[in-house]
Amino acid sequence: MTWLAAALCAALGTLEVARPAGVDFLHRHSPTAQKYLLETMGGGVALLDYNNDGLLDLFLVNGGKLGDPLKLPADFSRREPAYWNRLYRQNPGGSFTDVTAEAGLAEAGNNYGMGAAVGDYDNDGLPDLYVTNYGRNALYRNHGGGGFTEVTAEAGVGAGGWSASAGFFDYDNDGRLDLFVTRYLDWDLGRNVPCGAPLRSYCRPDKFGGVTNVLFHNEGGGQFRDVSARSGIAAVKGKGLGVAFNDYDGDGFADIFVANDGMEQFLFRNRGDGTFAERALEAGVAFSDEGTAYAGMGVAFADYDNDGRPDIAVTNLALEKYALYRNEGKGQFDYASLATGLAELTARSSGWGLGLHDFDNDGWKDLFAAQSHVLDNVEKIHSWLRYLEPPALFRNVAGRFEKSDLASLPGIAGRGAAFGDLNGDGHMDAVVSVLGGRPLVLLNRGGRNHWLTLRLVGLRSNRGGAGAKVRVGGQWAYATTSGSYLSASDGRVHFGLGSEKEATVEVLWPGGGRQVLEKVVADRVVTVKEAE
Amino acid sequence: MIAEVVLVLALQAMPELGRHVEAGLKAKRAGDLETAISEFKRVVELAPGLAAAHVNLGAVYLEKKDYGNAIPWLRRALEINPDLPGAHGMLGAALLAQGYAPEAIPHLEQARADDVLGVALLESGRVREAVDKLEAALLQRPDDPDLLYYLGQAHGRLSKQVFDRLAGQSPAPARARQLLGEAQAAAGNRDAAEQHFRAALALRADLRGIHLALGELYLGAGDYEGAEREFREEARLAPGSAAAAHELGAVLLKRGRARDAVAELRRASELRPGMPETLLELGKATAATGDLASAEKLLRQVLERERASEVAESAHFQLAEIYRKLGRAADADRERKLFQELRKSRQ
Repeated sequence: MTWLAAALCAALGTLEVARPAGVDFLHRHSPTAQKYLLETMGGGVALLDYNNDGLLDLFLVNGGKLGDPLKLPADFSRREPAYWNRLYRQNPGGSFTDVTAEAGLAEAGNNYGMGAAVGDYDNDGLPDLYVTNYGRNALYRNHGGGGFTEVTAEAGVGAGGWSASAGFFDYDNDGRLDLFVTRYLDWDLGRNVPCGAPLRSYCRPDKFGGVTNVLFHNEGGGQFRDVSARSGIAAVKGKGLGVAFNDYDGDGFADIFVANDGMEQFLFRNRGDGTFAERALEAGVAFSDEGTAYAGMGVAFADYDNDGRPDIAVTNLALEKYALYRNEGKGQFDYASLATGLAELTARSSGWGLGLHDFDNDGWKDLFAAQSHVLDNVEKIHSWLRYLEPPALFRNVAGRFEKSDLASLPGIAGRGAAFGDLNGDGHMDAVVSVLGGRPLVLLNRGGRNHWLTLRLVGLRSNRGGAGAKVRVGGQWAYATTSGSYLSASDGRVHFGLGSEKEATVEVLWPGGGRQVLEKVVADRVVTVKEAE
Repeated sequence: MIAEVVLVLALQAMPELGRHVEAGLKAKRAGDLETAISEFKRVVELAPGLAAAHVNLGAVYLEKKDYGNAIPWLRRALEINPDLPGAHGMLGAALLAQGYAPEAIPHLEQARADDVLGVALLESGRVREAVDKLEAALLQRPDDPDLLYYLGQAHGRLSKQVFDRLAGQSPAPARARQLLGEAQAAAGNRDAAEQHFRAALALRADLRGIHLALGELYLGAGDYEGAEREFREEARLAPGSAAAAHELGAVLLKRGRARDAVAELRRASELRPGMPETLLELGKATAATGDLASAEKLLRQVLERERASEVAESAHFQLAEIYRKLGRAADADRERKLFQELRKSRQ
């Protein structure tokens, strides 16, 4: 079935629900009467071109089986195909083929799956996969020929505990991708406590302690080293769910924003010497406008107002207002949810995965959020709240947000969200992972605006060009697969050009080089190789 | 004490009686209540017509919190001599502890024990009299938590009596629907509350307070637009309502309309000067318009009035943000620390 034939034509402004042939994934989170917190937090989605055929493929992270009540030690039944993570290869024409087994991704270990990160950590030109879990995480090296090999132990990146989002980035600009892993809570299945009366519900995170995040330095040769303590990352304990990277202070080094649940957010400023300092409060991104902590879930770290400085958006729970922090320069942010209208648009919603991408190619990055409350019985507790919510698209109108009408879309328990141009038509699409359900593929019907997508190939920098800053006209973008919640997006850099049919492209490589391409013709994918 | 004096006189006449009384008192002081009971029982046997002997035995049972056994001895003492205020007080307390509040009242009146009498009156449903007695007792012990608790209960019951009369009217008047709406809102039943409020408005469209309550319902549900509509209507009906102006200003700020918010919050502040909550919102709104110097002054006014509350915590946070934007790093650090300290102390 082709993309066009598969589109259900349920008009969502610019987005349509598609049911591409071959994607039969069902997320299994195993809800129980015990309300194990784990059940409501997964799972992630990744868009990557694992076989370099120019078509984005789809990877979905599954949960696992939970007894009710669970007998310890837990057996999550990940050997059973129903609980596998799944890789779907996109075929020409838009259908997909499940290639999980032949790609070597069927073995997930005895873990409960959470999220995925994508990056070419060995600079061989093939995107590798990292899967986070409750339990040990897994690194799958893409060895070409359509297959992956699990190399977690050799690489030394198993971590442990309850990991959530992860991302590859090159924090020391040595040309090799490092790995950051958020961890959620000091919680395990043996220490689940009953919460909620008279109606049992999932516990708030304040019932449990925080834990440290993990930073792995890529040593080369397929090996990583845990530098969490040495780098200062482990100096603070959080309740990390989302992570995103960008260079907020313009010093040429990637900084880290971690969305924490129910406490202050973290902004790790990269000092450029291999260490980080947590500066969220000083930078103005730790709390809401009222000085209150909120349930940070997903994060987008990108320049929404085209001033050349990366801003930060964070999803949270209903009544908290999604947080938007406008980068004012000099390392300072201003809470902008009220002034941009985002507070009003999101005050009743609960969000998870999100991304700042230009969905209508008008030159302004729009905000997309996967949504749903965290409590599956929230309507019995607060009649005015909804558990299932449709995803939301907030159109960026010169720095102010307006909600696109997605009313025809049914409510789902959205969790992860990944972004990329799935069908190669020049318009950003989205895939939302659904807790206990089938993923929602949203195709962008687009419009007549022009666009440009850049595929970066690093030589001195890391091969995928992660961390490159790209300018087209007044717009800046940061090359990354990270951000959102538990998810990884296409690493190519997409720009909407409006009515412009050509553009000047400036690339600032993380290795320090600068390249300018003049008169690049619009409406195509352009490969930019880093100058030697 | 009186009972002990009488006993002292009696024991001069009967040496054996004196020995038992002395042993009983010694055991009581030592906390050996069983021995005290045994000794005082012997005293009663030796001098059955002596009221003080019965009082002492009842007092020991009372100390033991054995109210059931205290009552007959105290009753007998008062049969022998009705003019023993201490015995009346103890009997009243014992009866109250056993749940016999109406019976306790005359004894507590005799004893002039306002505090316990207030409780007995409350338990007997004589709420207005209870309020008087508890307030009188509170003059002597202004911070007594038990007295404050019972006085709060008494006022609550008085309110309920009035509200029950209102709610019992048929057909339900607008005020009754308003009252039911407020009760449902307090219980977290948003939909039911809204229904009652709407019904009240259908009966009396100009009723004060209902649009304010509806606005708060909508605000609590994240519906800023609905909240603004209701607060605006309340402000139209009651242009002198500081609460309506405050809420309208606060929701306008949430809707990103900082200048409109400042106008309403200024109006609220003029209507009811010095309200910390209004000054805080006005400070936030003023900062959002970019007038950081004025915002700083407003937030300082908040902190002159509030030092350790949630409002103070928020004021310190807002001040830190203002100083951060002004580049006053040391001031920002100081305010951040104060914010964090208050935040931790309140967690």
